[in-house]
Amino acid sequence: MHETALVKNLVQKLQAICTEEKADRVVDITVWLGALCHMSPDHFSEHFRQEAAGTCAERARLKIESSDDINHANAQDVLLQSLELEMDDEALQ
Amino acid sequence: MSRKTIKVNYLARVEGEGALNVTVRDGQVRNAELRIFEPPRFFEGLLRGRDYSEAPDVTARICGICPVAYQMSSVNAMENALGIDVDGPLRALRRLLYCGEWIESHALHIYMLHAPDFLGYAGAVDMAKDYPDIVKRGLALKKAGNAIMALVGGREIHPINVRVGGFYRTPTRKELAPLAEALKQARDDALATVRWTAGLDIPEADRDYHLVALHHPDEYPMNAGRIISSRGLDIAVEDYNQHFVESHVQRSTALHSHLREHDCYLVGPLARYSLNFDQLSPMAREAAKDAGLGATCNNPFQSIVVRSIEVLYACDEALRLIDAYQEPEQPFLAHEPKASEGFGCTEAPRGLLFHRYRLDAEGRIQEAQIVPPTSQNQPSIEADLKEMVGGWLDLPADVLRERCEQTIRNYDPCISCATHFLKLDVRHE
Ligand SMILES: [Zn+2]
Repeated sequence: MHETALVKNLVQKLQAICTEEKADRVVDITVWLGALCHMSPDHFSEHFRQEAAGTCAERARLKIESSDDINHANAQDVLLQSLELEMDDEALQ
Repeated sequence: MSRKTIKVNYLARVEGEGALNVTVRDGQVRNAELRIFEPPRFFEGLLRGRDYSEAPDVTARICGICPVAYQMSSVNAMENALGIDVDGPLRALRRLLYCGEWIESHALHIYMLHAPDFLGYAGAVDMAKDYPDIVKRGLALKKAGNAIMALVGGREIHPINVRVGGFYRTPTRKELAPLAEALKQARDDALATVRWTAGLDIPEADRDYHLVALHHPDEYPMNAGRIISSRGLDIAVEDYNQHFVESHVQRSTALHSHLREHDCYLVGPLARYSLNFDQLSPMAREAAKDAGLGATCNNPFQSIVVRSIEVLYACDEALRLIDAYQEPEQPFLAHEPKASEGFGCTEAPRGLLFHRYRLDAEGRIQEAQIVPPTSQNQPSIEADLKEMVGGWLDLPADVLRERCEQTIRNYDPCISCATHFLKLDVRHE
């Protein structure tokens, strides 16, 4: 339940960035998983696929880095680090 | 088309997970209403029209902390509907899988969510700075639970190896052997966990709970048994709906459960332990005594010690099951779908989890009912809060919120994973 809400929030953020940047879709996403966030990369990507279906991030490639540093300030968190967007050139003008 | 890379560093957050509204009139707490996010209703709709064989995999996705529980209750219900009796090594393997989930989920709850409360930390990250070895022990325990789930369940999270009638594939004795080695270490860690939690500064509280749990004459309850209570209830799983009612509460997406005869009740580790103490292994009973626990426990803050006892038991039981394991001749029992109704109830780490399904002749799901522990405990959590908040009203707002979160964390990791998850609104009338 926790992870559903967490990943939903992340996908909402992606949608918002897409709208803001006038992008069509997200091509790549880099996510960082803290050592104490209780999600493995597999677990995360499964939830991500579910939540991203039908959104601009539907076909995005996921790059997941999972940390084992329990002393990291964000060890309990999931961070969205960067993304690559694809946009129609006309939208830029 | 062009591409653009942007750096974000955005922290994903849990929003709208929980809200607590407290109403105070004349200095007295009149009402404590907890609003929590609850997806099983959505899954009940999702299951309608699907094939009976899909239920275990679909329901396992409801929760990443207790997927086996959802899988086990649904598979039990389907087997009940179709008249299949899974016994022998297949039954033992399912119990082993459930042990993995208890170890994993309880370790997470104890070390990452609950212990920081007692030691005065906002979360596990702060606690890890001062107690790195303890946090590492928690992670190691969790890993041992995960290893069982990965091997028997086919995957660490949202296992996919369980099917109606048994498993898709069963492990060999040789494959289980390395698990036993890891579990011996885990059992030592679990014993150390019991001693450690028993030494925490635990608030005094003695609530008059109506405790409800499964009970089985020959084993500590996980996957099978009758539903019994501390006030004399003793019913078959099939009769659940005759004694328990769910009612819609406007303010919440969750349904609340009540017992027709006694109103609110408690499920989870305290109930399981208090109703089944004699079924624990000698090692677990001994550790409980050394930790100062009696054969029953009514202090919700002590649930951290009781969880530790259950982790110890689950390690001990998993070792016993691995030692006695005989490779089954077939991974599952053959069967045919038929028009039927089935019921399943198991002990999720945080309490009783009930499923009911009605199938048509082709085995399509006509109706699905899922009652998770959270909705059964919600009236009890609210009762705890109502009783306790009154004494805390003079505290600063953030301290008050922390106390309320701690009270809720006694019950459930799933609604309180995030630190500071709770939106607290105290209204003076
Ligand atoms: Zn859960």
